[in-house]
Amino acid sequence: MVEVSNKLVEVKDLKTWFPIRTGLLRRTVGHVKAVDGVSFSMEAGKTLGLVGESGCGKTTVGRTLIRLIPHTAGTFLFEGRDVFAIPPKQMKPFRRQVQMMFQDPFGSLNPRMTVEDIIGEPLQVHRIVSARQRRDRVADMMEKVGLSSQHLNRYPHEFSGGQRQRIGIARALILEPKFLICDEPVSALDVSIQSQIINLLQDLQKQMNLTYLFIAHDLAVVEHISDFVAVMYLGRIVEYADRDSIYAHPLHPYTQALLSAIPVPVPARQTHRIVLLGEVPSPANPPSGCPFHPRCPLAEGRCAQQVQTLESKDTPGHLAACWKTEESRRRYLQRSKKD
Amino acid sequence: MRYKTEKVDTLIKGRSLWADGWRRLRKRKFAMLCFVIVLAYFALAAAVYLDEFLKSRFAAQGYTGLRMFNWSQTVGPSYQPPMEKYAWTPDNAQAPQAGWALLGTDFLGQSTWRKMVYGAKTSMTVAICASIISLMIGVPLGALAGYFRGKVDDLVVWLYTTLDTIPYILLVMAFAVVLRNKTIFGWEIRGITAVYLAIGLTSWVSICRLIRGEVLKRKESEYVLAARAIGCSNSRIIFRHLLPNMFHIVIINLSLQFMAFIHAEVILSFLGLGESDRPSWGSMIDAARTELARNVWWEMAAATAAIFIISLALNIFGDALRDCLDPKLRTD
Repeated sequence: MVEVSNKLVEVKDLKTWFPIRTGLLRRTVGHVKAVDGVSFSMEAGKTLGLVGESGCGKTTVGRTLIRLIPHTAGTFLFEGRDVFAIPPKQMKPFRRQVQMMFQDPFGSLNPRMTVEDIIGEPLQVHRIVSARQRRDRVADMMEKVGLSSQHLNRYPHEFSGGQRQRIGIARALILEPKFLICDEPVSALDVSIQSQIINLLQDLQKQMNLTYLFIAHDLAVVEHISDFVAVMYLGRIVEYADRDSIYAHPLHPYTQALLSAIPVPVPARQTHRIVLLGEVPSPANPPSGCPFHPRCPLAEGRCAQQVQTLESKDTPGHLAACWKTEESRRRYLQRSKKD
Repeated sequence: MRYKTEKVDTLIKGRSLWADGWRRLRKRKFAMLCFVIVLAYFALAAAVYLDEFLKSRFAAQGYTGLRMFNWSQTVGPSYQPPMEKYAWTPDNAQAPQAGWALLGTDFLGQSTWRKMVYGAKTSMTVAICASIISLMIGVPLGALAGYFRGKVDDLVVWLYTTLDTIPYILLVMAFAVVLRNKTIFGWEIRGITAVYLAIGLTSWVSICRLIRGEVLKRKESEYVLAARAIGCSNSRIIFRHLLPNMFHIVIINLSLQFMAFIHAEVILSFLGLGESDRPSWGSMIDAARTELARNVWWEMAAATAAIFIISLALNIFGDALRDCLDPKLRTD
């Protein structure tokens, strides 16, 4: 029996390696393994938060999925179709379904184009509506993301950071995609503006039945918006679970360390911060075995030799790539009690 | 695109970076003065062309052109100093005529002032045509090399580094010598045509390198990634997203290159490789070389002053352009 998948997005064993070339002949001497075996799947209308510190490959995952960067290995099924097998000339239907919004509100808009041209460009490229209708569509979209349509003829430098990010959202959503990859959409904004943008994204998700891949390094933001959370370290997912269980009882020592770094706005409460020693290893030369073992407080001999696959331990649906989940959970509970 | 629809009736006007730059440039009085001087040179050259056209068109009606542009007329005795009155008997006249020449006369009794004015036409023609040629070669090659990399890039970089290793003036001279009085595809290359071809074909290197570097830098920027994520074609990305964002760099570079083109024309004419039948600042300086020993300084002075003023104006204007057009240097 063939298993019929009802998933919107299925990523299997995605790898994106960048070759390192040196010398006169530009010979490849190695690879930066930015993404090294990432798998996840998503249902329509849900949000997956992808978190990790800078350099862990989360942005590369997003850019590889939308084919801005060539993938090295793996498959990406979107509505059951293998996206990486589509010839570049026939990518347009896919691009209508999957869009992306970017981190930098200053760099992601062409400074020489008016807002109307920026937001309307997808319509123009995909030849969806006539020029006259285009203006109405753009005006509608601007109102939808909370901008005044009177500002159609303005240029990006005449807007604030939050407004520019709204322009970025409008551009990504004007084609009415199903899947939106948000690459750190709020990390360049003030905290007060961040919440406005997050709420806007949530409203639009309900209205348009969008599916988000939300890439971020801010765990508090991810907790607010995500249904599921995947934690990345050095090109791999080390823990994957639904939001509540990952924030309530993280299994992987790395996730625990990340969570302990969230500031708690209660002055009296002293949290126990887990401080990781050392630097993130280079993805060009990752450590043997579990990539986290040189910094892991629980590491033992086995961790340096073998990688534990991402698998469910005792809670179904809560996956962790760690040999010592039992012990790490016990220690985490003890520490929480102390707090 | 700029019409109103039912939904959108009131629009707030935006201000583009160009309008912004122009507004800032207008505040600089001295730079604007230099801009006016440059425009005056252009206008002078255009007026000479217009006069020549009218002369050829309305010769039957008796139009003989403006006196100011009639450089070949003998207006006085040889080597008449500037602003001094003289009495002089032309070959075909009986009685002596009185007169004065603003900037004196040369060996043939032609007006230095008129030759200087005509020299502006020669210089501007060469500089404008050379600019167009170097832009038409440099911008597309640079954009293609930077955007597509690989073999195209290798070829373009090899081409311009090779050209760049040859000393500029020698290269221009070699081109001018080779192109002079040749017939290519039934088109005879004469006079200043050879000069601007030689200059244009050799000086696209700097603009090409500049554009290639900018494209390399900007094609990884987020707005270009966004354009690719939307599904824009390569040509759309190059023409709508990349080139408009480096056009100001082209203009700034051009304002400084323009000066170099004027100088190159002067040098070629001085060496006898340029315009030979008609006046140019270079050939005026060449003629003045021997005259200086006889204390005839005005021809040299007129040509160098003409070159000096436009060079200075272009330099100051180019500097102000860079300050005003570069979005990174925005202060207000």
